[in-house]
Amino acid sequence: MKQILSVLEGVGSTWLLLLRAASYVGTLPRQRTRFFEQCYLIGYTTLPIVAILSFFIGSVLALQAGYSMQNFGAKQFIGSLVGLSMARELGPVMVAILLAGRVGSAITAELASMKVYQEVDALVTMNIPPARILVLPRLAAVLAMVPVLAIIADLVGWFGGAIVAKYVAFISIEPEAYFTALRRFMKFKDVMNGLIKAECFGFVVTLVCCNIGLNTRGGPREIGAAVTRAVVVSLILILVLDYFVTKVLM
Amino acid sequence: MNNAQQTIRVGLFFLLGLALTWVTYEALSGGGFFSKNKGYSIVAGFESLKELKEGDEVRMAGVKIGVVEKTRLAGRRAEAILRIGKDFSIPRDATASIIMAGIIGTNYVGIDLGSADAPPLAPGAEIRTKVTPDINAIMTELGNLGQRLEGALGAFGNSMNGDGKNPGLFQKLDRLVTENSTKVDTTLSNLQDITTKLNRGEGTLGKLINDPALHDELVATVGEIRSAATEAKSFVADAQGILAQVKSGKGPLGTLVYDETTASDLRATVTNLRQVSDKLAKGEGTLGKLINDDGLFNTAQSTLRKADRALDGLGDSGPLTAVGIVANSLF
Amino acid sequence: MPGPSQTRNPFTEHETPAVSVAIEGLSKSFGNRVVLDQVTFSVQPGEIFVLMGPSGSGKSVLLKHVIGLEQPSGGRVQVDQYDATAEETREKVRMAIVFQAGALFNSLTVYDNLALYLREHDLASEDGIREKVGRALQILSLEGAAEKYPSELSGGMKKRVAIARALVMEPQLLLYDEPTSELDPVMSATISEIIALLKNEYHVTTLVVSHDRDLALNIADRVGILMDGRLIFLGTPADLREPKDPRVAAFLYPQIDLQNPRYKQLET
Ligand SMILES: Nc1ncnc2c1ncn2[C@@H]1O[C@H](COP(=O)(O)OP(=O)(O)OP(=O)(O)O)[C@@H](O)[C@H]1O
Ligand SMILES: [Mg+2]
Repeated sequence: MKQILSVLEGVGSTWLLLLRAASYVGTLPRQRTRFFEQCYLIGYTTLPIVAILSFFIGSVLALQAGYSMQNFGAKQFIGSLVGLSMARELGPVMVAILLAGRVGSAITAELASMKVYQEVDALVTMNIPPARILVLPRLAAVLAMVPVLAIIADLVGWFGGAIVAKYVAFISIEPEAYFTALRRFMKFKDVMNGLIKAECFGFVVTLVCCNIGLNTRGGPREIGAAVTRAVVVSLILILVLDYFVTKVLM
Repeated sequence: MNNAQQTIRVGLFFLLGLALTWVTYEALSGGGFFSKNKGYSIVAGFESLKELKEGDEVRMAGVKIGVVEKTRLAGRRAEAILRIGKDFSIPRDATASIIMAGIIGTNYVGIDLGSADAPPLAPGAEIRTKVTPDINAIMTELGNLGQRLEGALGAFGNSMNGDGKNPGLFQKLDRLVTENSTKVDTTLSNLQDITTKLNRGEGTLGKLINDPALHDELVATVGEIRSAATEAKSFVADAQGILAQVKSGKGPLGTLVYDETTASDLRATVTNLRQVSDKLAKGEGTLGKLINDDGLFNTAQSTLRKADRALDGLGDSGPLTAVGIVANSLF
Repeated sequence: MPGPSQTRNPFTEHETPAVSVAIEGLSKSFGNRVVLDQVTFSVQPGEIFVLMGPSGSGKSVLLKHVIGLEQPSGGRVQVDQYDATAEETREKVRMAIVFQAGALFNSLTVYDNLALYLREHDLASEDGIREKVGRALQILSLEGAAEKYPSELSGGMKKRVAIARALVMEPQLLLYDEPTSELDPVMSATISEIIALLKNEYHVTTLVVSHDRDLALNIADRVGILMDGRLIFLGTPADLREPKDPRVAAFLYPQIDLQNPRYKQLET
């Protein structure tokens, strides 16, 4: 019962926070410094790990596909398989998970410590709503940066797959054939689909992490607990949302 | 890091994202070359579009010249709208057909070259089409052939391999050799044991064997066994010859031997034959030993008698049965 | 220390009407722990009210109610004619609080900490901000610390930055939570002088929570003593010098008795 109530409370406060933040959208142009700062943290600094991970995910996809397909001569479809799974599923989900782990946790930690050390209280007494200067720039930044990360993840993953397909002895498919296969079964819609998914995930993760951070109560110990909770909730939400967003976009 | 630098990096990063998205868009939408606002479209009507879908290629003599823009039902037939690159013109007497590029549903519309002097098709015009057999029809046909082949080869297989009730020749032989191997081995070692004793001239039997007359009789008997085995071998070789002919695709049967079950049946039969003859030739197994082992010159008399009796019946039961009886009598 | 005559008015360019604070039957419990029990008093416009009391008696909690950070369990708090918990109150009345622990923005430099309020509410140009912030820093002897981050400051410096940040806001109602703890005697005196100055020159209504007896006796208009969530004394500094209530006397003028220390009394 208590758990259900706290979940409902979490859902409610998250929506409220979203509405609050949305009501300050007009102040965004004045907050561009903060916006760019968050863009930098969320997008630019997350790029290397996104690139590394998606490269290897693409490679592994190609490797696994090649391994299982060599037995029935469908190797020429590796490109299609890697392309579609990367663009529609793995790219967005991976970006979202990295975002939750790298950016979401940082957001929660920062906001939770601001809350615990009364910085949030100080903002409130200064009549500067936290939703305006702490939440809104982050949400806007995530919306601007996630598609960039996702498209980079897709492309890097594709190239990872192409390299494996060419240089692994039992696959040995020329990049040209790989990309022809990739293009044959893919439309830009598939990529767009993935970008929209990533956008949803990124937005929800950021919002939830902000909310959990701002609702931290107690001492410094709670900061750690809040970060853990934020990451766990984010991961669950990503996978649950994944199903529904995919369904809706079909 | 100062703010301006940060802003510049974020800006560049964002532009990079936009550029990559655009590149992806161009690459996946078939590129500008075949995109909607370029080239022209023609209509191709078919009885069935089979596996053809939007986005499939249109090729002329194997060269990609466009894509299938749309598929639709028009009255009692199916139509594919083909978007052709503006640099390509199609003669009015060219014919389009749906062609399978692979077994797993990749198709394209193939257009032949037509004649050189025919005027080109106008945008929106309809192209002539023809029906090509699709893979399902071919598969069905193949299946029928296979059944017929099975029928034809079944009888042959039975005679060699036996039907459910009566084991065939090869099976009998094979079983003889394999099933009784332990029994044979012990018998043989017993025999060997006895022969050593005999050689040393021990016991009554030893004396018997040292008698030259008896020795001659032994040699003659074993020689007969040998010639029986040779006949068996030549029969096996004949059977192999027939099968080889079938396999290499000669004769009416041969052309049809693509059916899996019949082919494997045949293969198994051939393998059996080969195994038996190999065993015989190499002196493996009891029979082989019996035939090839010179030590058998010193076999005990009772055994020889039995063999003798068997050889008498050789004339009417054929060489292989005789060999079988020889082998049987050993146990 | 720059006196009022030497220093140009760094805070209010225009006169703002002073506000009052009315606390009526305020109660607060956390779970079943009662922290504030039926506290009633008021602070007149332009008055300095000093709230004293032992550690843990609920002074900080009371201040949070006045600034609207806590919801009362019972009773109410009014600032001017507005309810303290309503959000519009903060828009109608300019209030500032100096938190006990400073509550500085750790990600911002001292200068940006002070400038934040002005920037966010667009109250001055960057030049104007530089001037105002510079003056506040000067008053609290913090000129050298402008570009430092809070983590690079000493405890006393943090407290002064917190006070400077409140001053820059040019508040009508200013709440201090132990402004002079952690400060050396001279700096404590300076803070007392600043509080008095703000009241005398600019009619800022001031509510100070403090254990500092000198501050209370010298600058307070009225003093309240909170003990175990109840207000046990309400009077002028003059009343404090000869307290009638033995609890007040024991709190304000405790004897240091090495032969019979308090922790031993507690044990028996
Ligand atoms: N958020 C809270 N949750 C539970 N208990 C609290 C909370 N805030 C304060 N308390 C309790 O209320 C009591 C009063 O706390 P408060 O901070 O007001 O004391 P104080 O009078 O300011 O003491 P000090 O002079 O040491 O600052 C304390 O016992 C404290 O444990
Ligand atoms: Mg306190």
